[in-house]
Amino acid sequence: MLEKVKLVFCISIVLTATSCWHEDGAIHHVGHQTINEQLNARSVDSIQYAISSEEYLKDLDKVKVDGIHGEVYIPNRSNHLNSFPCSSCHTKPLNELGNLNSENSKKAHWNIKLQHAEAEVMNCITCHNDSNLDQLRSLTGREINVNHSYKLCSQCHATQHKEWQGGAHGKRLGGWAPPRIINSCVNCHNPHSPAFESRWPARLNTVKLIEQTAD
Amino acid sequence: MDKPTDKDTNCGSGNCGCNGNSKPDGTDQTFNKVTDRRNMLKSLTAGLLAGTGLVNSACSVTASDDTREKKSLEWEEYFKGNYQLMTDEEKEGTVQRLARLYELNNGKHANISAQGAREDVLYGYAFNISKCQGYMDCVNACVQENNQDRGSQMQYIRIHEHENGQLNFELAEDDYYHEVPAEGHFYMGTQCFHCENPPCVEVCPVKATWKEKDGIVVIDYDWCIGCRYCMAACPYDGRRFNWSNPQVPEEEVNENQHYLGNRLRKKGVMEKCTFCIQRSREGKNPACVEACPTGARIFGNLLDPNSEIRWVLANKKVFRLKEDLGTEPKFWYFMD
Repeated sequence: MLEKVKLVFCISIVLTATSCWHEDGAIHHVGHQTINEQLNARSVDSIQYAISSEEYLKDLDKVKVDGIHGEVYIPNRSNHLNSFPCSSCHTKPLNELGNLNSENSKKAHWNIKLQHAEAEVMNCITCHNDSNLDQLRSLTGREINVNHSYKLCSQCHATQHKEWQGGAHGKRLGGWAPPRIINSCVNCHNPHSPAFESRWPARLNTVKLIEQTAD
Repeated sequence: MDKPTDKDTNCGSGNCGCNGNSKPDGTDQTFNKVTDRRNMLKSLTAGLLAGTGLVNSACSVTASDDTREKKSLEWEEYFKGNYQLMTDEEKEGTVQRLARLYELNNGKHANISAQGAREDVLYGYAFNISKCQGYMDCVNACVQENNQDRGSQMQYIRIHEHENGQLNFELAEDDYYHEVPAEGHFYMGTQCFHCENPPCVEVCPVKATWKEKDGIVVIDYDWCIGCRYCMAACPYDGRRFNWSNPQVPEEEVNENQHYLGNRLRKKGVMEKCTFCIQRSREGKNPACVEACPTGARIFGNLLDPNSEIRWVLANKKVFRLKEDLGTEPKFWYFMD
């Protein structure tokens, strides 16, 4: 009789232990494995996703990013600039347009005030190509397409560029699912005044405020 | 009812159970059952509900077809099982009933999904402390997306304003209202961290909350009894309770819903961030990630070696809150 009771007891313990609700494969501290080691061990190569970010950005005009492994896209910029190509007004190179401070100078771009680095470091032609205004200009004088202005930014902001390529800097469009469609530098930062401005928060929780002041 | 009835103690009747050898017969078992207060209330409530439901749904000749349909749907909803134990058809059945009930009650269509976890997906989140400016656009987006109670101003996300040089949540300001970012301060958002080892799930006495295969910790609002054990167990203040009936203006209701996500809740149940399960399982980013104008919020698949979140974990110095507890949150913080 006692044997039977023991047996039943043992079986019930085993059953309780195995009928646990938690599924296996969860990330837990395994010895000294770091989170990256654990994730590497569980990674799935070339996942076949049934979902895609593409359908949320059907209307977006995309450009493939140079220099990032895989398919990464940014929004097309030149199609959305009001007065592009620049050559529709700038028929002559800048130096032939005459002295900008003279009475006859054109009144275009009056609203642009460069607030980007010191005057010793940057002026208009650090980025703009004064002989071909439809293109941008690298520090070494090479032409850079307006849609690939990130190449221009990366000349100084190498760290940010690296993190943007990887995914720690910048903003994803569409969704988390592939393909990766991200904002280019100029979609968030005005290149003439790249810093984010301070502003008021979007909301105030008045209920919480009342509770706190009541304490 | 706690006390034995007269009949139990009265040995004059031949039917009673005091005679050591004879067992009580069927009548005795049914009518002289010693019951406690809890069981009595339970059976009374069930009986009452069953009675009311039946009368309204089946026997009524005066009620309209809509009322009859509504009652019959409510009846089925009331006696449905735990979501985790449902088959796919049963899940589809309950979301259809809920959608139909919403239509009958509000005259509007709601699209409620029962989409399960996607294959080879484990969601993870990273938050860049250097980037957050404290604008709180994420909070607004979250409230709207998830149909949170406007009456109590329920918010899943909290943005804490810390003074530079310290990371003490006791001293942080959660209710700042001045131009941001404030000089000498930094901002840090908290919400449900979707722990791999969630203490809230552990303590739930009715299994109304659990971790899905894709790592999202969810709540079945129809199974929750509102005991708030999970709220007490969460070390991160990630859970919220509906102290009153949630108020969401009719025109602001987000009709794109998920059973385990932003479908309309009721008084007395828990709720919390679900990584916007109605969005994330369709490949979209949670509303907070989409709304953030600074790119401080990064979301993605931890099992995909090419995902942004994996790049952050592999290349940035990341940390989590209260790591010593062993809760293993899937929510990391990092700096530029």
